[in-house]
Amino acid sequence: MHGVGQILLQNRASVLDAWLARLRDTAPGAHPASLQLLKLELGTLVEKLTGYFLTDDEDGAGAGPAFKSVEEQAATTSAACARDGLTPMETATLILSLKSIAGELLDRETSAKATELYRMRTALDAVVDRLALVTFAAFVETREEIIKRQGRALLDLATPALPIWRHIILMPLVGIIDTQRARQVMEWLLEALSREEARIAILDVTGVPLIDSRVALHLTKTVEAARLLGSQVIVTGISPDAAQTLVKLDVDLSNMITRGSLRSGLAEAFRLLGQHSKGPIETMI
Amino acid sequence: MSLEPDVVTVNVTSEIDAAEARQEARRLALRHGFTTVRAHGLATAVSELAMNLVLHTDRGGLIRLTAQDATGAAVIELVAEDNGPGIPDLALAMEDGFSTRGGLGCGLPGTRRLVDTFAITSRVGEGTRIVCLVRRP
Repeated sequence: MHGVGQILLQNRASVLDAWLARLRDTAPGAHPASLQLLKLELGTLVEKLTGYFLTDDEDGAGAGPAFKSVEEQAATTSAACARDGLTPMETATLILSLKSIAGELLDRETSAKATELYRMRTALDAVVDRLALVTFAAFVETREEIIKRQGRALLDLATPALPIWRHIILMPLVGIIDTQRARQVMEWLLEALSREEARIAILDVTGVPLIDSRVALHLTKTVEAARLLGSQVIVTGISPDAAQTLVKLDVDLSNMITRGSLRSGLAEAFRLLGQHSKGPIETMI
Repeated sequence: MSLEPDVVTVNVTSEIDAAEARQEARRLALRHGFTTVRAHGLATAVSELAMNLVLHTDRGGLIRLTAQDATGAAVIELVAEDNGPGIPDLALAMEDGFSTRGGLGCGLPGTRRLVDTFAITSRVGEGTRIVCLVRRP
């Protein structure tokens, strides 16, 4: 499609101007600075696209190294759009608007026969369609990456193990306990127990919205593993609603020390430590 | 008080969907005047059934909750259905302590104790359907 490439090359500036006008229509609220950046991205995309049409003499779209670089640029542009808060629909509309812009240009600039014009427009349409798909995929990828990062950030925040007294660590659980979190809680708790040489771990579940049989299973496994390290786990903060539900579920938590509140859990921890140490409580500090 | 049924449907394929289903269940129950204990019980039942969909089927399944108000009373229907492998021995699956995946084995029998009526049908190779009712007097 040499013809398309030539026409694009001669009219790059006007294509870019028209495209930027569409961008301003698509995202009227966009910040001038981000428009400036998007302008650069779109400019590079037009350039790469022109390069592709100039080197590619096949009619088919979407092959060859030249097209690869066009796709990469489209992905970069789309990522920029995603960061600037354009919706996927706005981004796709923006890319697809190139069809009418360049199409009108071809109509105006070429003196070729109708069949030749038709071939040119078909090739252009195929390329732009492909770019719209690439753009959409890249857009979703960017968003997914953001979501994954947030997920990892949350996971890091979620489960601190605090040494609150000599031989006692506290682990407050907050939020939904899924399999991954449960595994992490177990790992971190055991690690903290051995690091702090703690004999008691208080696992506070006040912030856990619901304890079903799976969460209960993870709790019992954690208690069991801690016991192998010679430590005891006190589970605190089971709500009255959760207690009634657990009884109906008939989950066996009898091998677990449980206390209603964190305060009574701490008292139990001191009592257990007192059994082991000879002196008064001051000697344990 | 509305006489139109209040319907919530959640497609469950992963653990996060199961979490959403039980949050929806809890909200629905509270919205229709159930006590927090009953809402908690219903949410737990939903959680058990939804986790079964996640763990025992390849493509997950559907949780549908329908609340219907009547004068001075309300009922919530909980349906969990899937096109999964089915349960070969229902009597065994309903027994306390039986588990195929190393769980505690109280999911199905526990759910039955948490709701007012419980019905299960399952065909090997076709899927499983569980219908529960929870009533507010």
